[in-house]
Amino acid sequence: MPDQEPLLRVEHLCQYFKAGSFVTKAVDDVSFDIRKGEVFGLVGESGCGKTTTGRSIIKLYNITSGNVYFKGVRICAGTQKLKEELKATKDPARAAELKEQIKAAQNDQKNCDKEYAAKRVEELKARYEPLLSSASGEEKTRLSAEYQNELRKAKNTRLVTQIQMIFQDPIASLDPRMTVREIISEGLVIQGERDKKVIDEKVYEMLELVGLVREHASRYPHEFSGGQRQRIGVARSIIMNPDLIIADEPVSALDVSVQAQVINLLDDLRERFGLTILFIAHDLSVVKYFSDRIGVMYYGKMVELADSDELFAYPLHPYTKSLLSAIPLPDPIYERKRRRITYNPLAEHDYTTDLPSFREVRPGHFVQCNEAEYRKIMAEIAAK
Amino acid sequence: MENKLHVQDLRISFRTSNGKVQAVRGIDFDLAKGETLAIVGESGSGKSVTSKAILGILAGNSIVESGEIIYDGQDLLKISEEDFHKIRGDKIAMIFQDPMSSLNPIVRIGRQLTEAMLLKGKIRQRESRNNFNGYLKRLEEQMAASAPDAAAKARAGESCKKFEQFERKHTELEAAYNMAHEGATEALDDIEVIAFELEKNTVAKGAADRIKDIARRSRESLNKYVVDPDRYKSEVESNASELERSFRAKNYQAVLKNLYRLREILTEGAARPEPNFFRMGYYLTFSGKPLPDKPVDQLNDELLAYLQKDFMDDFLADGERAMAWSAAQCREHIRTAMDALEKARPVFAAETLDKKLCTDTWKSLSDAVKKTVDPLAITKDSVVYTFSPSMKSELDKYFHGIKANVDILRKHEKEQRKHDAIVAKGKKPDWEVAEAAVTDLELIKTNLAHIIDRLTEHYRGLLDSAGAQDYRAETIAAIDYLRDNASGIVAKVTPQLARQRAIKLMEEVGISEPHKRYRQYPFEFSGGMRQRIVIAIALAANPDILICDEPTTALDVTIQSQILELINKLKAERKLSVIFITHDLGVVANMADRVAVMYAGKIVEYGTSEDIFYHAAHPYTWALLSSMPDLDTNEKLTAIPGTPPNMIYPPKGDAFAPRNKYAMEIDFEEQPPMFQISDTHYAATWLLHPDAPKVDPPKAILDRIARMNRRREAQDA
Repeated sequence: MPDQEPLLRVEHLCQYFKAGSFVTKAVDDVSFDIRKGEVFGLVGESGCGKTTTGRSIIKLYNITSGNVYFKGVRICAGTQKLKEELKATKDPARAAELKEQIKAAQNDQKNCDKEYAAKRVEELKARYEPLLSSASGEEKTRLSAEYQNELRKAKNTRLVTQIQMIFQDPIASLDPRMTVREIISEGLVIQGERDKKVIDEKVYEMLELVGLVREHASRYPHEFSGGQRQRIGVARSIIMNPDLIIADEPVSALDVSVQAQVINLLDDLRERFGLTILFIAHDLSVVKYFSDRIGVMYYGKMVELADSDELFAYPLHPYTKSLLSAIPLPDPIYERKRRRITYNPLAEHDYTTDLPSFREVRPGHFVQCNEAEYRKIMAEIAAK
Repeated sequence: MENKLHVQDLRISFRTSNGKVQAVRGIDFDLAKGETLAIVGESGSGKSVTSKAILGILAGNSIVESGEIIYDGQDLLKISEEDFHKIRGDKIAMIFQDPMSSLNPIVRIGRQLTEAMLLKGKIRQRESRNNFNGYLKRLEEQMAASAPDAAAKARAGESCKKFEQFERKHTELEAAYNMAHEGATEALDDIEVIAFELEKNTVAKGAADRIKDIARRSRESLNKYVVDPDRYKSEVESNASELERSFRAKNYQAVLKNLYRLREILTEGAARPEPNFFRMGYYLTFSGKPLPDKPVDQLNDELLAYLQKDFMDDFLADGERAMAWSAAQCREHIRTAMDALEKARPVFAAETLDKKLCTDTWKSLSDAVKKTVDPLAITKDSVVYTFSPSMKSELDKYFHGIKANVDILRKHEKEQRKHDAIVAKGKKPDWEVAEAAVTDLELIKTNLAHIIDRLTEHYRGLLDSAGAQDYRAETIAAIDYLRDNASGIVAKVTPQLARQRAIKLMEEVGISEPHKRYRQYPFEFSGGMRQRIVIAIALAANPDILICDEPTTALDVTIQSQILELINKLKAERKLSVIFITHDLGVVANMADRVAVMYAGKIVEYGTSEDIFYHAAHPYTWALLSSMPDLDTNEKLTAIPGTPPNMIYPPKGDAFAPRNKYAMEIDFEEQPPMFQISDTHYAATWLLHPDAPKVDPPKAILDRIARMNRRREAQDA
């Protein structure tokens, strides 16, 4: 598995927001890979940038700097860091190189979808043209119609639509004036599908997949309960046959009993279609239950990344420790004795001289630390 | 333990266009002082409706069908809106689920935080003064009435006057001391933070404000019993001004030096023992001598000796006598009232009640019952207090019902005739005749009888326990009550003090840079921060009962646990009673002393949190427990199939039966009663019936309990 090309690779992703002269570093130099078929959990407190990370990946924002690769294609590229370096550099060779990189990045950021669509069109041409030339009569008209249909769809294809998102609030994320059929099929229609029958079939299939029935297709969102609405959100995202789903707190707004239904549903879908999921949540018990690997974020930085069992068994970064100590457990006697560890970054770290970086301390286990802390952590691991 | 809130047989419905939704269907619970009761259930189970009923903010289409919510001797379902204003926010506060909709978007946070403090500050002062004066007057009366001779009578009047006089001195001294002591401890906290930052070479944004605060508070802490002005006045003064000056000049070394010195002085001051101001107040008022110059311990002893010899022994003896006398008087009145009740019983049991007779009887009964209230009792006896208003409301309902029933029946007959006429023509009408909504007069009569029964029984209990009273302890409690109220009189809330308290509260709930945040608007806060503000507002008025309606559902774990810890801390400090409403059982384990699990408007299981988490008995509780993952869950989660029932047509049997895999035939037929499992643990499920088959809880839960036991053992080892 480790040698396999990751489905999604995020490199030094930065997302800054400017408000006047003040810059908010919502996401600051975050890197991680998501392998095919795994569930990657992203946890952290509210405002730490986990949702922004998800949204940046799906290109809802133009990222400030860094790269995002999806299936080996660069879909997001930011240029600010490169531009800064260009300003600072005095070496003309390096400057030329940087200029080249910036140009490439801008091109990729803008044109990756067009290039992908063009590639799809080429593929279709290669497949259909020999068939068309060999066919004749009725067969030819049929094939030609099919070809035109496919061609239209291919032109409208976006690479990013293979990443789909499930939103936190099932009430706010569904248009109250659209029927469930319209909501679920919207993606297909935008992509250029015009055949009503195909759309209906697809919609019914999705509804049944997420545990609703055909009759629900003509209803409006307000007629459903919270859990059912979230299922509609799931159906809407899987109809596009995505490879990656970004689930942004999909169960936070639901009752416990319904939470279990939605988690079970996502789990089933993942097994059936080999979905890859980026699971953003703040409920650590749910994340632990659902994810293969977990990244912990704190104030825009990724502070620790590891396999979920490993992370919960051996948390190394002080913030992770404090986070884990805060999880409520259904055990009153234990809870009464629980001591929460507080995390005070000023007291924990001394980064005045030596800046921290993201280091691998065990195979697959990364921690944000500087040299002194790294030695301490290694000693801690050796002691175990 | 003292009972704060008592809810009995509460039934609430909502009129909707589709029919009557029965949201709450007969729930009972008690809330003791300093206890947390968690109400757990899915959305739509009626838990929020219950809490809103307690706070008197039910929606307009609600109907309270029956029940009572008794707080402080009054039934919250029956009191007027005006009376509710005194309780809501002040005595009973609520933290709402949605922080955005419970804050005013166009008023600054600081204003919203201090509003209640300033408003209630005056009311509280007035209330304390009334309580103090009223009680002292009653005490004096009873003392005089119970006096064996004229000398004792005269002494009673005099000693009460004396008490009032020196109590004033006492509160003055104590308020000054408290202010100084608080100033010292708060300055110390700030010094800790600033010194830490300066040592690390970082100066955070709020530092200038903090330095100002430290200087101000250190000056405030000059008091004879905290930082002695005779010894330290000049030094504190020079240190504080030097501190401000060198901070402005960015000379951080000098700032640190001054901070360390201030810390030394303040730590010493804050650690000094507190003298007993109650005794000191008496000494200073009546001895006419200056205080003896001695260490605080000896001083306390000496003052106590003086107080007891000169005043307190006599006062206590008089008080005890007055208590005993008033209790005896009270018992006499109780006997008369019981006779009157017994005589009045047939009046309310007649075939049809006579309006004149009933009203007269009610009036005379109310008077008789009013007399049975002990004038020297501190806590209000809710059964006695609610007797007259509940009787009145039932009678009103009855006499209104008699008249209204005639109209309703006539109308119903007319409809029926219309319907019949159409049917007689051989047509089928597309409407049906609704059942006549007549008032159940028989039910009202049984209610009336029940009210009388309950009071009689209560009186009988009081008479039986008459000999067991400890009048000395009661006198001491009465004196404590007077002292509490006296300190309430001098506790004045100025805008500046309110601001200080608000900022402290903001710090307590974990808002950074409170000085800056104090001046911001709600939209400038994130969701979690807003929720903290809401909590701070709820706590600002220092309530008796705090209702938390899913306060942490929208927050992430670290903040959630901070806020839960905060509520727990405040609960312990202020002896708050908390009603905690949530769907998250994980949170409940941390918070609750007792847990009530609600489903479809009923409490299905009720017990201590140990009972619920280790020995759950109701299938619904099992389902809730097993549908949430914990850190060691690997197997598939068991979701509860289906949805909660439509409460317009509540099911005949157990409401959970259709979703319950352990359901038996009887579950669909008949509602299960509450079975008692232990002294504290009750559950409403037929599985507990002796004839039911034995069913074990699901494996997931048993496994988890075993795991939890192992972990605890490992931790203990």
